[in-house]
Parts: sequence; C-alpha cells; structure tokens
Amino acid sequence: MPEMTMAQALNEAHRIAMQEDSRVFAIGEDIGDYGGIYRVTDGLLDEFGKDRVRDTPISEAAIVGSSVGAALVGCRPILEIGFVDFVGTCWDQIINQAAKYRYLSGGKASVPLVMRMACGAGLGYGVHHSQSMEAWFTHTPGIKVVMPAFPDDAKGLLLAAVDDDDPVAFFEHKLLYTFKDTVPEGRYAVPIGKANIRREGRDLTIVCWSRAVHWALVAAEKAAVDGIECEVIDLRTLVPLDEGLIQNSVGRTNRLIVCHEACRTSGFGAEIVSRVVESSFDFLDAPPVRITAPDIPVPNSLPLEKIYLGPENELLDAVRNLTAVHSHKRQH
Amino acid sequence: MREMTFKEAITETMIQEMRRDPKVIIMGEDVGDFGGLTGTTIGIIDEFDDQRVLETPISECGFVGAAVGAALAGYRPVLELGLADVSFVAMDQIVNTAAKMNYFNDGAATVSLVIRVWSGFRRSGGPQQSQSNEAMFNHVPGLKVVMPSTPYDVKGLLTASIRDNNPIIFFEPKASYPRRGEVPEDEYVIPIGEADVKREGTDVTIIALGAMVHLALEAAEKLARDGVSAEVVDPRTIRPLDVQTIVASVRKTGRAVITHEANVIGGVGGEIAAILADQAFTSLKAPIKRIGGEETPIPVSPSLESAVVPGEDDILDVVRALI
Amino acid sequence: MRKTKKTTKTTGDLTAPQLKKMHRQMLLIRRFEEVAFEKALAGNYANYHGAMGQEAIPVGTCFDLTPEDGTMITHRGLGVLIARGITVKDIFSGLYARAESPTRGRIPVYHMGEPKLGVLTGTSMVGSVIPLATGKALANKLDKNNSVVISFFGDGAANRGDFHEGINLAAVWGLPIVFFCENNFYAKSMPLEKSTAGGSIIKRADGYGLPSMLVDGNDVLAVYDATKQAVARAREGGGPTFIECETYRWTPHSTAGDREFARTDEELARWKAKCPVRRMEALLLESGKASQEELKALDDAVQAEVGEAIEWVEKAVDPTPEVATENVYV
Repeated sequence: MPEMTMAQALNEAHRIAMQEDSRVFAIGEDIGDYGGIYRVTDGLLDEFGKDRVRDTPISEAAIVGSSVGAALVGCRPILEIGFVDFVGTCWDQIINQAAKYRYLSGGKASVPLVMRMACGAGLGYGVHHSQSMEAWFTHTPGIKVVMPAFPDDAKGLLLAAVDDDDPVAFFEHKLLYTFKDTVPEGRYAVPIGKANIRREGRDLTIVCWSRAVHWALVAAEKAAVDGIECEVIDLRTLVPLDEGLIQNSVGRTNRLIVCHEACRTSGFGAEIVSRVVESSFDFLDAPPVRITAPDIPVPNSLPLEKIYLGPENELLDAVRNLTAVHSHKRQH
Repeated sequence: MREMTFKEAITETMIQEMRRDPKVIIMGEDVGDFGGLTGTTIGIIDEFDDQRVLETPISECGFVGAAVGAALAGYRPVLELGLADVSFVAMDQIVNTAAKMNYFNDGAATVSLVIRVWSGFRRSGGPQQSQSNEAMFNHVPGLKVVMPSTPYDVKGLLTASIRDNNPIIFFEPKASYPRRGEVPEDEYVIPIGEADVKREGTDVTIIALGAMVHLALEAAEKLARDGVSAEVVDPRTIRPLDVQTIVASVRKTGRAVITHEANVIGGVGGEIAAILADQAFTSLKAPIKRIGGEETPIPVSPSLESAVVPGEDDILDVVRALI
Repeated sequence: MRKTKKTTKTTGDLTAPQLKKMHRQMLLIRRFEEVAFEKALAGNYANYHGAMGQEAIPVGTCFDLTPEDGTMITHRGLGVLIARGITVKDIFSGLYARAESPTRGRIPVYHMGEPKLGVLTGTSMVGSVIPLATGKALANKLDKNNSVVISFFGDGAANRGDFHEGINLAAVWGLPIVFFCENNFYAKSMPLEKSTAGGSIIKRADGYGLPSMLVDGNDVLAVYDATKQAVARAREGGGPTFIECETYRWTPHSTAGDREFARTDEELARWKAKCPVRRMEALLLESGKASQEELKALDDAVQAEVGEAIEWVEKAVDPTPEVATENVYV
C-alpha cells in the first residue's frame, strides 16, 4: 500500500471526486495557480481547468455564499478556507444559509457543500492563525462535522463528504498535513458518523479527534509500559456522534478521558462528557476528565504556545491519575 | 417598590449610565428616533444627542469593529446588535477583534464594550430570527457572556456590564421582555459571574438560562404540589460561570437538570453538565439531564414551533422521570 | 485601464536635512527587511511578511504625523512601526517573541500597539482592521481632538466586506481618517486583475463620495505630499480621503513554507528599477545635498544598528509560562 502525506491523500480525494463527477469543483483563495497554501489542491488546475478550480479574491462571505448557491442547484463544491480563524467573516453564510437551506426549502433542495478548513496550533503562527473552532459547528443543526486524524481517513472521509448531500465542515489540522502513512489506492469511502478504535484497551477510554489522537496514542504507548491499557477512540466525525461506540467502550472500561486541542469551555469535549454521563451513568467509576487547551488566546512565542498545547503533556498524567483512583463510587 | 418590564429596565439602565458617564455611547441601527429594533432606545436621543446615540448603517462588521476601536480609545459603547442571529454576520469582529484586544493591548487599553443581542424564541420568529448562540461566545476566551432573566437582574447586570472593561455579549431573551418585576429606582450593580438561586429546594436542581428560568419556576411550583422540591438556579452570567453556586446546589440535591432555549448538542448545558460531572460526581443520584431546542432550525408555524422549543412540560417530564 | 492621473512631486519645500532623514528611514527599513526575511527563512521565527521594495510608503506617510495621530497596519509593512519610532531592536524582539519585547511574546509583532507613539493595535483578518481604525477616528471626532488616523491595507483587503463597511461608515460620519491602500498588485498569490472587478481600487472611493489620489508608491515625496493633503483635510474636519499607492513587493507573501508566486522575472526587474531607496539616493546625489561618502557612512551606521539589534535578540530570553495567561480579561 502506498504511503503518502495527509495533504497528498486529500489531493487524491479531490482528483477522484472531480474525475468521477463533473459537478464537483474546488474553490478558495490561492488554490489554483498556487496549488493551495498546504498544497492540497496542487496540480488540480492543470488537470481540470479554471472553471472547476476557482481562485477567489479575499472574500470569504462571497466564497461561501456563492458555493451555497451553486450547491443548491446541483453543484458539489469543495471550498477551502486556509485558516479556520477566518470563519467569522463568513459565519452568517454558513449558519444562516448553508446549514438551513434544506430545511428552509422543505427538503426540495439540499446543500452538498464541503467546507475544508485548516485548524490548529503548534507552528508559532499566533492568535489568528492557530485556533480550533469545531465546537461552533457542532452546535449548528444541519451541518456535519468531520475531523480526520490520519491520511487514510482523510481521503475516505473527504470522498464521503463530497458524496453527502448535506453541508460538511471538514477540519484538517495544519500539523498533520505532512504526516505520512499508508493510504489505500483508488476510491473508498470512510463513513461519516463512524468512530474508530485506534487502540484497544480495558482500563480507560480516551475519546479524541484530529491531532489529539496522536497525542493519545503516544500517551497510551507510555502508559502501557506501566501496565495501563488505554482504549483510544478516534472520533473522525463529531456530528453525527458515534455514541454507541463510545457507550460500548465506557461500558467496558468505566473510565473516560476526552482530549481535544480547542479551548476547554464549551469545547466539544463538554458535549461528549454530557452524553456519556447521561447514557452511561451507572458504568462510570470516576468522574470523566477533560484534557484540553486552557481558555486563552493562542500565544505567539513557541514556549508560550506550549502552554496552550498543554494537553499534549497533561494526558499521560491524567491517564495515570484516573487509573490510580480505585473507584469514586457514588454513595447512592 | 415599583414594577416595570424587563424591556423598560434596559432603557432605564442605559439612561442612568449615560447620565453618569459621558463616555457611555449607544450605537446601532435605528437606535435614534425609531428606538432600535427592540424599542429599548426610544427617547434616549431626545435627552442626549446624535453624538451619544449614533445610528449606523446596516454594517455589522463595520460598526462592531468601530465600537471596539472607540472603546480602546476610552469610550464605553453600548451596541445594539439586534437579533442574536445577526451576530453571525459580525462574528469575526466579535471573536477575533473584540474578544482578543485586551490580550493584544496587554493592559494598555481596554475593550469597554457591551454588545446587546435579542435572543431566543418569539412566536413565529422563524429559523433566522429565533436563535440563541451563547454557547459559541462561551467558547471564546476574552468575552464575557451574560444572560439575565428578570427585570431586577437585567438592570443590575447591564449596569455592571457597562462599567466592565471587557467585551460583553449581553443576551436579552425575547420572551423575557414583557416580564414584569420589582426594580429599584436607584442604580445598583449585580456582579458579573454571580448566579442566583431563584427558588430553594432539596430534591433536584434545575439550572435554567434566560427565558427558561420562568418556565423552570412555574414547573417547580407544580412539582411542589406533587411533593417534589425543586431548586431553581439562574446562572445569570454564562461566562464566567458561578461554578461554586451551581456545584453546591447539585451536591445538595443530587440531581441536575439543565435547560436553555438553544439546541442541546454543543449548548451551554453541556459545559455545565461536564463541570458537574467533574465536581459533583459522587453526589449524583441520577444522570444529568439537558433540555433544549430540538436539533433543527426553528419553524415558523406556532404548532411546529412549540414542538421544537423546550417548554414547561419538558421540564416536568424530565424531572419526574429523574425522581 | 488605469486612467486616474498619478501624482508625483519634486523636492519642493523639504529641506536637505528632512530629505536625508527620509532617506535614512527608508534605508533603515530596507536593511531591516533584508535581515528580517533572512532570519525568518533560517527558522528563527515562524513567519515573516516582507515588504521589501515598499519603503517609501511608511516613510512618506508617517513623516509629519504627531504621536497623537494613529496608524494601523495589518500583517505587512513593519516599516510603519519603524517610521513611528519603534526601534529595530524592539521589532526583532517581537519577531523572535522574546520576553522583553513590546508584545512579551504573546502576539505577532505586527499587531503591537504603542499608545505613546500613536501605533494602534491591529488584527490579522485582512480588511477587518478598517472598521477598527474607523472606530479610533470616531473617538477622535467625539473627543473633538485634532488627531487623525491612517488605516493601511493592501489590494487584497479591497475585496472584503469590512473594507466596504468600514469606509462607508467613516465617509457617512465624516471621520478624520485616511484610507491608505498599498496596492502591490498581488493579494497572496492572486494578481489584481483576477481578483478585483473593475480593475481599479481607487474608483471605489468615488462610490463613497471620497476625494482620492492615485500615487506612485515608490516615490517618497509623492507619498509625503498626498498624505499631507489628506491629513490636513481630516484635521480640518473635511472627512476621509482615499489614497491608493502603486508599489510592489520583491519577496513572496510570507516565508512560512511559501513558494514563489507566479510572476515574471521581467516584472520583478521592472519594479526593482523603481527602488524607492535608490531613487532618493539619486535625488540627494544629483542635487548635491549629499555626497557618496556620506551615504555610505549612513548605510554602514544603519547596518550596524540592525546588526546590534540582532546580536541582542539572539541572546535574549524567552517569556516564562505565566505570561501566556495574563490579561485575557482585565
């Protein structure tokens, strides 16, 4: 099986989707001639031409709005927003338009739009080029939210997202673009709404997504040396949430850590913890734990940025602490 | 003590603060003679002038950014942004500019800005005029998020907000607007970050936001007749949340139900539930329940709307099932 | 076709010391840009948005401003900070995100504010600074002070909604602000003719009823003169002016893994021939206001200043962790 980076895997997904369906087109800033700031759309302009690989001015509201309009009449746009931090400039178009048009049209139309956005910190890019905003999208009925952590999932999920008739918010972590791994050739789809157990374990469940999956696997490896076996669930899709898989896992392990890069308060970790408490209350031996970035803007200097990326290092301690606690059985 | 509506209390607060501090200015669409979308600025331009009550074109990004710039230069804008649904249009200016400028200025200048939004359900408001997006702002460091429910609370909290040097998203639930209550004539402050136990109880804690506070109180009344003692906690401020009061209540009752107008997935209820699961875990006798809007845009027809929005019956059903 | 007449200016009313000061500032900015670009490519910091070739703009615009006048930049053109009086040492300190920098390492240095010098804190979203600058001008008008704001942005920003909203708002309210477009013909990689309907940014000013000037952005005296007129108008209560300067950057959009964007060698060479620093040098020499030796000594001094700054910054310490969480709220 070939090895490739996540950027290359996404590039392949574009190619396959665009070769198979002439209604699929790519749109965004610097994606055509330039090939995209992360190279995800490299070479597409030469292969498909400028009608199907559209460079745009710096006009996010118009990019999203026009993509919604095109999607409503049968096109299947894949739009790229180079930094999720910019999404505030087109948020109305996403929430009030893209998310709602199926409903507003009484089901007569849908919005088969894929919104690809790059998120995440770790490069010292500073406060407006490093945020993670997926939680906002999860709170918006009508949008699916996908966040692959590995190249094979990225390709399969992007293909699934293009096939999906509803708007999909597709998040790519900047630091994962160069992550190399095996990727199956040709077309395949990874179903939206299905999480994946990346590592099995009996002692505790770590639910995570995107870059945090890599942190969790590293922590799990280290914990295994101490005899602690972590089950690492890579969500892959946040909405719709694969609640059954999580319940099943917590039902076996009885302990839960949720780890994400985004800020803690009202991050998606809160939603997962709430659902687990609601559905698996009797199975929990200890309070669920959230390991997340602190509630601060992303600082610029690399040593300060590490404070924001604290979860990476805090996770192992959290694993140890959670298993050290014998049981917080409730008194009732 | 005299009574007034939630809406009237807002107007009174703005006038009192504008009299007290010449740096307090009002900005927004139609806030002059027309009195604003909400009618809360009626008459204010007559007492002050158009240099203190600034009418803006339909340019949300423009005037939110300008309000931040003016705040950093020492003014205290009270910005009527209109519907919470419209805040989406200016999301970048709110989240990337307003929220972060205190961090950027590192103490040298402050964002003394209140952004007032009209939120939640109103009969047949429809999908783009009924939203309540406090959870999105709750996720943004640098913002404070306030959601009062009573006339007494709105005056005290709006006063506090205008005097605060941070950017504050001030939610005014539409359903709360006609609610009447006692409001002192003198100025007073309710500290931001302080919850209020609106009704004491022992069997279950209902944590309710905004318009749901009244429904929770009505439900509590009915529950009392069935011998169920419900404590109703109104956080009043969503960010920073009064964790201590909420946790203490749930430790006491052992049961928590959280309710808000916004849809459940990703809503503030999740954050509160997660905090309770962390800090009140051993006290819990039952799972924490959340009640909010259905995962759908809000329909226009009143019969469909009532199927989708949370109501008193939902609270009653959930609480009874818990006991 | 660009039909608006461009303004140029001769030395006119500026003295020899003033011209030499302008030259020194441009040269300092040039030497700073060269080193900043090189240090970024060497990995000393994450990213640098170079403005090599655009030095006439910060110098010409800021020359006569008072510390009460505000300037707001976006991510490019740190030359404005230098022109306002921020030291090269402080800027490098900010780029390296050191503890002692004006930003304490917390935010990108191009957003730094310095109230004592009129440097206004900006935001990264292209175009979103414009309403923010409008807000400062609003405060000036309400304060009834005499101060003016210059809002700098590039050609890319002209297609953002905030551009329209911020400018319209300032125009409708008659605010004391100068909207200054540094048109270097490329947003990030996208050339103007592909991004900008109508092919002209300055024509948009007509839509707002604003007086406007199209200026040779590589002629510091033309920039100076245009700014002087616009600032005077704003101070006298005449409202905003829109200035578009045509210029060019010799470097890519940024250093962060950026490939060179598509442009011809001929285009780059054509603009390098219009180098603003060389033009001022030629003017000083030809008018006899400076000698070759004087200019060489100046260049040496400027390079030494930059060199000392680098020497200091490379040994400077990084911020300590607690700095990350301060002043999220006040």
